[in-house]
Amino acid sequence: MDFRPMTETERKTLVSALRGNAQDGLAVLMDRQTTSFLGTAEEVPDEEVINAIRSVPSHY
Amino acid sequence: MALALRRGTATRVKPRPVSVPLAPLQRVVLGDEVSRVLFSEYLAHQMSDRGGEETGWVLLGLRRVDEAIVLATIPAGAGRVADQGHVKFDSAVQAFASRVVRQRHKQLTMLGVVHTHPGSLRHPSSGDYRGDIRWVANQKGQEGVFGIGTADANPELNPGISWKPSANVQCLGELCLSWYVLGKGDRTYRPLPVELSIGPDLGSCLRPVWKEIELHATRLDQLARVVGHVTFEIVPGQQQPALTMTVPIGEDDREIRVEMEGKAVRYRLLTPDGPLAADLHEDRVDVGVFLMLSELAAR
Repeated sequence: MDFRPMTETERKTLVSALRGNAQDGLAVLMDRQTTSFLGTAEEVPDEEVINAIRSVPSHY
Repeated sequence: MALALRRGTATRVKPRPVSVPLAPLQRVVLGDEVSRVLFSEYLAHQMSDRGGEETGWVLLGLRRVDEAIVLATIPAGAGRVADQGHVKFDSAVQAFASRVVRQRHKQLTMLGVVHTHPGSLRHPSSGDYRGDIRWVANQKGQEGVFGIGTADANPELNPGISWKPSANVQCLGELCLSWYVLGKGDRTYRPLPVELSIGPDLGSCLRPVWKEIELHATRLDQLARVVGHVTFEIVPGQQQPALTMTVPIGEDDREIRVEMEGKAVRYRLLTPDGPLAADLHEDRVDVGVFLMLSELAAR
């Protein structure tokens, strides 16, 4: 098993993904073969969609 | 966690972008079932006793870099406030409906709105603009998709099949849907080319239990917010499709299941040994669930 430091971009992406997981329950994707971090699913929080629906104005 | 792990040689991790930069919308793509649902429900609305009123749908789907892919429609609801000159959707019912649709499709986002005009105005009105221009500022990409339904086409030209008199207009029979996009700061709507692709309307599964959704939406939505990991399903009922809600209790793999079929509300306790019917007669779903939880906690 080899180790290498993550690049700054990878580190920021991972931190952002973990924050999304902790705060909004967003999935964190893992490579099934290498178990490495793949990114996040482009999931949208329930409340974002619900707020958008609740704020739809009247139409004429 | 700050290391990339791999058996054997080290490899470069290729993280997906957490968020993709969005460009101005160039097209709206409708799943073919979405298109069918919009036209068929518009036609059904016109033939109903409220056919003289405006109506509409909320559109959910995927926001790609420069295109919006519509994959779910949610109707305005029987509780909408509407007349010949305006429509205000029943957003409480639509919000809960979106929760059900998005259970297994968390990528779906809010894309826009379709509403109908009673005459032949195939363009959003100035009144539409005043509300929409504020609304789009808070949407993904700071843009929204807007469809306008009118019943002013000549059905004799293409009987039975849809056609596009222009890039942003679809017609079927005498019904037309004209598509526009409005972005933050825009002075006017831009015509938005519409395309069809093979795809579902993920909201169509709601239609068989729409009355149950409307009856219980507010209480179910509150429950979903307060109690975690609640799931909703549409299942065959005793006489018609039923809406079910399952609430995990968290111990012994037991769950509370509520079945809503017509006006009937049935409560069950699901155990590893099989379901148990609860002798509980409570039409208010949230009250019923909390009564069961307190009863189970006291045992």
